[in-house]
Amino acid sequence: MLDTAVHAELAAILPAASLLTAVEDVKPYECDGLTVYRALPAAVVLPETEAQVVAILKTCHAAKVPVVARGAGTSLSGGALPDPNGIVLSLARFKRILAVDALARTAVVQPGVRNLAISEAVAPLGLYYAPDPSSQIACSIGGNVAENAGGVHCLKYGLTVHNVLRVRGVLITGEVVEFGGDAPDSAGYDLLALSIGSEGLLAVITEVTVRLLPKPQVAQVALAAFDAVETAGAAVGAIIAAGIIPAGLEMMDQPATRAVEEFVHADYPLDAAAVLLVETDGTTDEVAAEMAEIRQVLTAAGATSIRVSRDEAQRLLFWSGRKAAFPAVGRISPDYYCMDGTIPRKALPRVLQAIAQWSVEYGLACANVFHAGDGNLHPLILFDANKPGEIERTIAFGDRILELCIEVGGTVTGEHGVGVEKLSPMCRQFGAAELTRFHAIKEAFDELRLLNPGKAVPTLHRCAELGRMHVHHGELRFPDLPRF
Amino acid sequence: MSVETGQASRGSANEVARVVETLARDFGERAKTGDAVRTQHARGEGLPDPALPDVVVYPHDNDEVAGIVRLCHAARVPVIAFGVGTSLEGHVAALHGGVCVDLSEMNRVLEINADDLDCRVQAGVTREQLNAELKGTGLFFPIDPGANATLGGMASTRASGTNAVRYGTMRENVLGLTVVTADGRIVHTGGRARKSSAGYDLTRLFVGAEGTLGVITEIQLRLYGVPEAISAAVCQFPDLKAAVGAVIVAMQMGIPLARIELLDALQMEACIRYSKLDGYEAKPTLLFEFHGSEAGVKEQAEAMERIAADHAGSAFQWATQAEDRSRLWKARHNAYYAALALSPGRQAFSTDACVPISRLADCLLETRAELDREGAIATIVGHVGDGNFHVLLLFDPASKAERAKAEAIAQSVSLRAIGMGGTCTGEHGVGIHKLGALVAEHGEAVDLMRAIKRALDPLDIMNPGKTVPR
Repeated sequence: MLDTAVHAELAAILPAASLLTAVEDVKPYECDGLTVYRALPAAVVLPETEAQVVAILKTCHAAKVPVVARGAGTSLSGGALPDPNGIVLSLARFKRILAVDALARTAVVQPGVRNLAISEAVAPLGLYYAPDPSSQIACSIGGNVAENAGGVHCLKYGLTVHNVLRVRGVLITGEVVEFGGDAPDSAGYDLLALSIGSEGLLAVITEVTVRLLPKPQVAQVALAAFDAVETAGAAVGAIIAAGIIPAGLEMMDQPATRAVEEFVHADYPLDAAAVLLVETDGTTDEVAAEMAEIRQVLTAAGATSIRVSRDEAQRLLFWSGRKAAFPAVGRISPDYYCMDGTIPRKALPRVLQAIAQWSVEYGLACANVFHAGDGNLHPLILFDANKPGEIERTIAFGDRILELCIEVGGTVTGEHGVGVEKLSPMCRQFGAAELTRFHAIKEAFDELRLLNPGKAVPTLHRCAELGRMHVHHGELRFPDLPRF
Repeated sequence: MSVETGQASRGSANEVARVVETLARDFGERAKTGDAVRTQHARGEGLPDPALPDVVVYPHDNDEVAGIVRLCHAARVPVIAFGVGTSLEGHVAALHGGVCVDLSEMNRVLEINADDLDCRVQAGVTREQLNAELKGTGLFFPIDPGANATLGGMASTRASGTNAVRYGTMRENVLGLTVVTADGRIVHTGGRARKSSAGYDLTRLFVGAEGTLGVITEIQLRLYGVPEAISAAVCQFPDLKAAVGAVIVAMQMGIPLARIELLDALQMEACIRYSKLDGYEAKPTLLFEFHGSEAGVKEQAEAMERIAADHAGSAFQWATQAEDRSRLWKARHNAYYAALALSPGRQAFSTDACVPISRLADCLLETRAELDREGAIATIVGHVGDGNFHVLLLFDPASKAERAKAEAIAQSVSLRAIGMGGTCTGEHGVGIHKLGALVAEHGEAVDLMRAIKRALDPLDIMNPGKTVPR
């Protein structure tokens, strides 16, 4: 319940329709894409101007009310999970593209603008915004910044941190700050990088300047089949080691391709143990030259068949399977648990082999669909929550995968963020010296720890087991939305 | 937010003496207190204002660095990390005395992971040394600030250089760090994974922190395949405006240039004389380098030549042989010495600014006009694909008035860049000379930088007096 005085102050800042407190009104905000965690917030506020955000934060700061900022609510790690004693600050009404500068190739957008809406708006200028998380039709740019979102093409074009020039935001004290600038570099500490991926713990974002890229003239994708998962994994390393940085380099194993084929008919070779999608883009000559090289490397690495898209329609068809992989897997198993570890590419064969072996050991099927070029794994452990013991086995299996990721020099989350989901593995990846620094930074920005409390960085004395992403039947929000 | 509170007092002269004594005992010959060594470590290559450390120590590994910092932390004595001293903004001057940690003996390449295109080096490895060790692997490390700086220094100042337009700056190329923090603990940030959403981005926080938050001791770096084909070309323009116009169109069209360097007419004149370049005129000049496949390079170069011709540029003069290219880039890297030779007896310093590419023409033309109006002996060079440029200002060290005028012009360049949405430093860093400009650039956000400094270095012992104004 919101304190009466705080409620009155918020009501003075916002029109009645923008301050929600009734249970039925705040219910839609009780969780994000990680549905296993739910909590009703004391209130939801929907400001439309930065001045309102400033006033709301000042009020909450003075009254020590926790604030959870929320974009489109597609987070997979619980980044937007409400605090029961706090408010959810939705940026849904900040959805204007404020300026596009074709010469400087930048756009200034509000945080509620959808990722794909930017590319759509600048398409007539021959430009686009490169980071493309698979949920790009729904996820918002503010959320992308908060989570440092990646996507299929980040191998070549970088993550959000490489494609954002400036972030404007409001601190919990109500102070308006700007990080970065319009030039490619900025003096002093890199507060821009610090704010990107900070999961809403440092500031509420109100404006973002993104970098735009000229659309490549052409793109072509190769669909290569392999008769062993490890061979496909080794082929990924061989491509990169040959000095080729493809625009996209994705892998799917047989459980994944079979699920997909039934769902979208992407024309994948079903007898293959694994397939790779390797995309190249650029001018016609560059694409032709690079595709020839890719073919050579794939053949030498043991591909049993290689098909190169002959036109744009076939290119999109090949990609449609990859983009629909998660909903497709959701159709064949009552539940699945998605992991997000990232490893050095060289370790791919070793880790994939271990996953296959554990799959037998734990008696649980596992589909692998992932950003192979980045070494970003998304193993999907398939299980049935109604069968006794399966959840426990799934969690144990998942834990071992993450442990192995850390052991080979990787990280427990490549792109989904820590949120509430990965607090426990964070304790394994980082020691006390690093965690102390994280907390010191949080304190420099938000001494009272009011912004998105309890997320992203585990407390030292409470490196406790906190749970997992668990998708049960219809519980996944926006189940048809392409993910990852 | 009060700035003055929380500023700890520094260790007394006695405490400093005890630290020096302890270091002499523990490090023997590797702790030096002689005047000559301390003077070598009292300044970088910028303005000539030395400030001597009390002692210079040469550690060999992380634990030794951590031991030194713990000692200094207990005694509240400043710690100044030192690479090879090529910094241009006074980063290494020991403003409050203290211990200079010279990392030049931490110069081992620890691992090269050819398949993953990364490597791990100690902070004292120089970029030329790294590239020499990479010979035969088919890989290279592209970031090239001109000077043969250490990679630790380059990370600390967020260096970039001539080919940042293609490969990014140190910000994009440092994957992870080992850092000794202000209390002498060893932390590891980032790592070999290509992406991570785990925790705040400490890697990028330490990159560019100029040694004020910790001492970088090891660096995980991205590497790149040596391009199949490289070619370089020179193109001359009737005036500065035409040259910059060509740059802007090239960037707008997304031509993936590896380098695009501008030299203004006076700088070109200086280079022709100093580096004996034949067949060129003293006109605004662009130097290009193209990397890629044979076909890609040809395509890029043709597109660039068409754009240049549209801007009244001369025909391209090609340098396809490696020797010709290296002669050309050597002339570019010697621009500083060439400019010095314009007026023997004078000294020079270089200021650094960066603006959005759409404002580059305005910024350069206004700056050139100011230099001419003020009668300054000064040249402009720039890694213009990024909107980054430098003004080399000459002054007579015996004349206070001349130096003051040069510094005033540098200040004015900073403010102009900031006014156009740019920054007072694209690559040299803040150091001691740009503290004022930092406030002009970032306003309220400087309070946050102070708060971070206090949070990570509450005793203010890490390179005090630099990067963030008190």
